[in-house]
Amino acid sequence: MKEKLSKEEVLHVADLARISLTEEEISKYQIELKELLNDVEKINEVKGYDDDILIACWENNTELRKDEAGEMLDPKEVVNNAPRHSGNYIEVPVVISEGEGA
Amino acid sequence: MSNYIPTIGVEVHVELKTKTKIFSNSTNGYGKMANSLTNVIDLGYPGTLPTLNEEVINLGIKAATILNCRIRKVMHFDRKNYFYPDISKNYQITQNETPIGYDGYVEITKSSGEKKKIYIEEMHIEEDTCKSAHRGTKTLLDFNRAGVPLIEIVTKPCLSDGEDVKLYLEKLKELLSYGNISDCKIEEGSMRADVNVSLRKEETDPLGVKAEIKNIGSISNAKLGVEKEIERQTKLYDKKETFKPQTRRFDDKIGDTVLMRIKETGNDYRYFPEPDIPFVVLTDEMIEEAVKTIPMLPDERREKYLNIGVSDINTNKLIQNRSLSDYFNELLEEKINHQIASNLLLGDISAYLNKEEKDIKETTLTKERFIELVNLVDNNTLTSKNLKEIINHILEETKSIKEIMEDNNIENITDDTEIRKVIKKIIEENEESVKDYKEGHDRAIKFLMGQVMKETKGKINPKMAMDTLKEELE
Repeated sequence: MKEKLSKEEVLHVADLARISLTEEEISKYQIELKELLNDVEKINEVKGYDDDILIACWENNTELRKDEAGEMLDPKEVVNNAPRHSGNYIEVPVVISEGEGA
Repeated sequence: MSNYIPTIGVEVHVELKTKTKIFSNSTNGYGKMANSLTNVIDLGYPGTLPTLNEEVINLGIKAATILNCRIRKVMHFDRKNYFYPDISKNYQITQNETPIGYDGYVEITKSSGEKKKIYIEEMHIEEDTCKSAHRGTKTLLDFNRAGVPLIEIVTKPCLSDGEDVKLYLEKLKELLSYGNISDCKIEEGSMRADVNVSLRKEETDPLGVKAEIKNIGSISNAKLGVEKEIERQTKLYDKKETFKPQTRRFDDKIGDTVLMRIKETGNDYRYFPEPDIPFVVLTDEMIEEAVKTIPMLPDERREKYLNIGVSDINTNKLIQNRSLSDYFNELLEEKINHQIASNLLLGDISAYLNKEEKDIKETTLTKERFIELVNLVDNNTLTSKNLKEIINHILEETKSIKEIMEDNNIENITDDTEIRKVIKKIIEENEESVKDYKEGHDRAIKFLMGQVMKETKGKINPKMAMDTLKEELE
């Protein structure tokens, strides 16, 4: 079993989490993240784990909500709860990489 | 002509026509004040739990049926994890493992007449993200769209050119809007298409480097975008240049695709099953109930209209107008002249509706009164000229059409004996013209018709009068 993650692996995880790391932090996480992964991997040793993964414990009980409108928040309250806003819009630093998501 | 074979796949997102959002009971609406249609679930506040909207499942079943998909009876949702401000929870709830529909197809007819099936790999349900607008150094967020229910429909890479893409999108729009699944308004973003294009030399070669075209604002731009992209990649391959997988967008102003970003790495969304939403198990009853409410779809309408004698042109025009087509459907079983009925709907009635900006349901034209109207036109009692004079009364009053004709002093002589009597009289009084006609002067018959009209004060049916006049002159 590998002792630590590669530097690239740590940087990839940092990139997904949108955080920047110092060289010192990278070295630290190479070991700490690997230790975490090793702990999680112990689950794979449990027999029969792959046979039938339990995702939810209410598999035969479909719960659906009626399509009826309820109360909504006041837009003022919504924007005031964000660190910054501009009129009725929530404001965030510009994000260049358009078109992520759905 | 390109020496390469294009491989094209299309991903379409459509917003579902529900009253509320997929996981919360806030209103699903468009064009409202920013951030006015939200609650704590849409905003992803900590500690909130999603609840699945029944109507979303209902519309999902219907869409899968309309697109000839197989329906998955046991489903769950998955979390697609990414950090981007358009999703405040940092994950989108979607169906990665168990899409509601799979293995479907829609059929298109190419301009060559060839019929082609566009195969659908899968269609899944997911939530829309919030809308972001980039302004200088800021990005502005409106969460009204966050949590609006979507279905994403993914084709197999089986389309071959811009025409395929255009016809597929048109067909999808026709089917989903007729099925009341979505209003499919591309300009409002309730239907959005992304197209993947790659080229290869031979069918047996592996697929080429892929470019994804996003932000396509109209169906015609989708066709153009694909054609331009094929052109661009062809040039690069011809020059033996390589390129990386990339995302491009269609720019309206230059009518071409432009680079948005290079995809350096594959996506890493770390999907896992959504633990906050119970499994969805569809029963046969649920599926039957949903399928029962699918309205008659365009292909079936087309077949029925043609079968009862409506012309090709009128059939297509009726189908393009959902509301008139629905109205016409109520008359399919009636013993009337359906071609005349379609002419009336598409002619004078449409002209009135367009001018008054009304829907046919907002007029006084009940089914019974429309049938009376069709029959009066069919038996020549009401001429097209007279119809134009009283169309407003017909569509705004509740009296019978006969009564409206009387109110407006419209009576037509349609009795054959009467018509013949008048015509015989005119022929006797105009020997010169009759002689001219027999010598081959066509203008003479127009003069004689004028006399007939004058004699009857225009109350004679022109076609019947002309036919009888010609007969009597022989």
